[in-house]
Amino acid sequence: MPTYSLVVNGKRLTVEAADDTPLLWVLRDNLGLTGTKYGCGMGICGACTIHQGANSIRSCQITIHEAAGKSFTTIEGLAANGSHPCQRAWIEEDVSQCGYCQPGMIMQAAALLKSNPHPSDADITTSMQGHVCRCGTYNRIRKAIRRAASGSTA
Amino acid sequence: MSTPSSISRRVFLKSTSSAGAGLLLSFALPPRLFAGGAEARAAAFAPNAYLSIGSDDRIKLWVTRSEMGQGVRTILPMVLAEELEADWKKIELLQAMPGGKFAKIRLRTSGSGSAVGTWKALREAGATAREMLITAAAQQWAVERGSCRAQSSQVIHIPTGRKLSYGALADAAATLPIPANVALKDPSSFRLLGHRMHRVDAPAIVQGRATYGIDVRVEGMRYAVVARCPVLGGKLKHFDTAKALKVPGVHNVVPIEKGIAGGVAVVADNSWAAMKGREVLEIEWEPGPHRDFDSEAFQATLRSALSQDGFLSRSDGDTAKVLESSSRKIEAVYEYPFQAHLPIEPMNCTAHVRSDAVDIWVPTQAPEVAQKLGAQIGSVDPEAVKVHITLLGGGFGRRLFCDYVEEAVELSKKIGAPVQVLWTRDDDTRCGFFHPASVNHLAAAYDGSGAITAWAHREAGSDLSMFGPPGNDPLRYQKDGSPWGIYDNPYNVPNMKGDYVPVSSPVPTGPWRAVEYPSTVFARECFVDELAHATGKDPLILRLELLRPYDLLKLPEETIDRERLRRVLELVADKAAWRSPPQRIPGRRWGRGIACNVYHSDSYIAQVAEVSIGPENDIRVHRIICASDCGMVLNLSGLEGQIESGILWGLTPTLHGKITFKHGQAQQTSYADYRVIDMEECPLIETYALPSNAPPGGLGEIPVPPVAPAVANAIFAATGKRIRQLPITPDKIARA
Repeated sequence: MPTYSLVVNGKRLTVEAADDTPLLWVLRDNLGLTGTKYGCGMGICGACTIHQGANSIRSCQITIHEAAGKSFTTIEGLAANGSHPCQRAWIEEDVSQCGYCQPGMIMQAAALLKSNPHPSDADITTSMQGHVCRCGTYNRIRKAIRRAASGSTA
Repeated sequence: MSTPSSISRRVFLKSTSSAGAGLLLSFALPPRLFAGGAEARAAAFAPNAYLSIGSDDRIKLWVTRSEMGQGVRTILPMVLAEELEADWKKIELLQAMPGGKFAKIRLRTSGSGSAVGTWKALREAGATAREMLITAAAQQWAVERGSCRAQSSQVIHIPTGRKLSYGALADAAATLPIPANVALKDPSSFRLLGHRMHRVDAPAIVQGRATYGIDVRVEGMRYAVVARCPVLGGKLKHFDTAKALKVPGVHNVVPIEKGIAGGVAVVADNSWAAMKGREVLEIEWEPGPHRDFDSEAFQATLRSALSQDGFLSRSDGDTAKVLESSSRKIEAVYEYPFQAHLPIEPMNCTAHVRSDAVDIWVPTQAPEVAQKLGAQIGSVDPEAVKVHITLLGGGFGRRLFCDYVEEAVELSKKIGAPVQVLWTRDDDTRCGFFHPASVNHLAAAYDGSGAITAWAHREAGSDLSMFGPPGNDPLRYQKDGSPWGIYDNPYNVPNMKGDYVPVSSPVPTGPWRAVEYPSTVFARECFVDELAHATGKDPLILRLELLRPYDLLKLPEETIDRERLRRVLELVADKAAWRSPPQRIPGRRWGRGIACNVYHSDSYIAQVAEVSIGPENDIRVHRIICASDCGMVLNLSGLEGQIESGILWGLTPTLHGKITFKHGQAQQTSYADYRVIDMEECPLIETYALPSNAPPGGLGEIPVPPVAPAVANAIFAATGKRIRQLPITPDKIARA
């Protein structure tokens, strides 16, 4: 099996995987980074969202072959001790129910705020569209993004 | 409820305690009948939960329900800490597992009963422990008990300010007799209950550290997916392992018999290799007897079944006679298609079978069943089966089944290694236990003044298979209290009849959030709207009239308080400004609709939906206002979250959700074709909880049933078009 090198959460790593393996499964099964979730494997639920540089991507839609040599951030590497404004806002707004989709939601929201620090409601909708939450926490996600954008931590 | 109540001595059973072990109280939880269904009504459980306070100041609480987003791991320590006067954030949570000291304790999570079934005994246990700790401190200081109080896991001697921690008192407290009557706190002095508390698991969730079933990693484990026959009831005929085994990383290709349909497992080093192996697996199925099953044809079968008399579930007065003799009457038929659960975490289970023991790591609502199956399939004693319950990435009723546990245990046994069986999204969508399709017929008569004189409601549908075959007992449904929404129709009509016509189908069915209510309440609450239109009354006014004289409705299994339903209706009408003129949105038709329901007599809810319909009949749900009386509020933020969640769950079948079968196969495969509500469609939701000192009622399922009728009634108000089949789509509005 081929060997690939990539950077995840600031660390250079080498993995052995079939070239068509989606990065999602490399993260979860090879690297033990299970915070990135499998929801559909088709890029339609958003649970596996991570960052490639500053951009959000669906880790089920990029193969290890394509990912080789590039740099990624997963939910585990978003911020030390959960200190990212989105993570804190998510707790303050009591967003999570079952919580399974939330790492993907937070990674998407964090990427949005990086490129657009003060998104309008329409910007939030556009960005979060295509992320599925079966517990129906969308209104709280919206509130949490607004809170994170406002810089309020209380 | 506002006066402190006493605790019966008999609920406590003190363990023998040795020095240094601290205080260990085990307490009996009251039996809670599973809300409906033969299974639970037959047997009343007497479950227990356990608390320990160590001399090292550690307070441990064993959580006896599965956390699936309903917040049980937050609510239970809140309840305990409230009475114990402990710092709730420091209570250590352990997940109870079946067997051992929990052998006779209910761990099953269903019926919106996580708090209902546990909260009272937890309060009593906390209060009793608190009083014993105070006594221990008073003895140590040689002071009056009354001069001491408990606060923040310490006992304080008020006059001197001396303090002793619970840990320092635990050994002494353990030697004391258990007090016979202990006062519970007055709800007005609650410092935790009724407030908004953050979820205990939230920090782990937002950092990706929370462990769901799919995240379990065991030394030496393999990963597997299972090829299952896509046709209902089909069987494995032939398979060839050669191509699958050539996929790098694939280890074994193993036929399995257990699970929902049996099949062929592909076992690999990682999930991807297993999926790839399955893709190239050559496999031939024998489609079996249901190869022609078609849900559209089945819907017609259901409609024709409405002409049969059903099993009686409600019979007041002489409905048939009044309907027949009345000149003023209306009738209507409502249809509800099959639905799937599609929790975001697909089914999965990790099992490790050895010759003398079995470990199962699983996101399940039914750990007792998992233990039993683990023992049977693993050929070990049940006590040798450890069921490690992980967090659930959504339950919604699907995880009351243990078919995926069977698969993992059988496979681990066959390959002699720990293995995680993962369902793909496609598997999860097509091979589940579906919410059964049903049709409802309603007929009602009214007099010249518009008073409703007779009401008949008949449902035809397939039974929930987990409740067993219907049998031929004519009173079965009466005894079961089923169908929900018909037998417990809250309205006061002198002649009321409800019956049920079971129609078998090959589709595996099972509980889905709110179980039997969504279809019956959709029909019932739309029909009230139709009656309001027929009698020229406002739909809110008609409902209030139908609840007069706001008395108690006594049913064989429960008592409904019509006054509580009146109050939530009036509250929601007030908050929604029900009587205000319709809103104007250029180019769109706007309307509002109302609906209500009572969930098993202990939770009352009413909703108003505001919608608008565009020129192309596109549907926009702008806002849903919800008023509820679910008894005493435990965690206000949790309550609001559950209401929002249930409303969005109910909106999916209202606007999109539908599983169809052709040639015996489910045709939907993912969120792409079983569309669920997303952020763009998410309406504003306002929740209002009536303050109450009644015992906490269920919450998780309660908001689901009124959504579809409130929206359908709003669409009628906007367009004058009555859509009686879910989902309500633009083309149905165009054709109506």
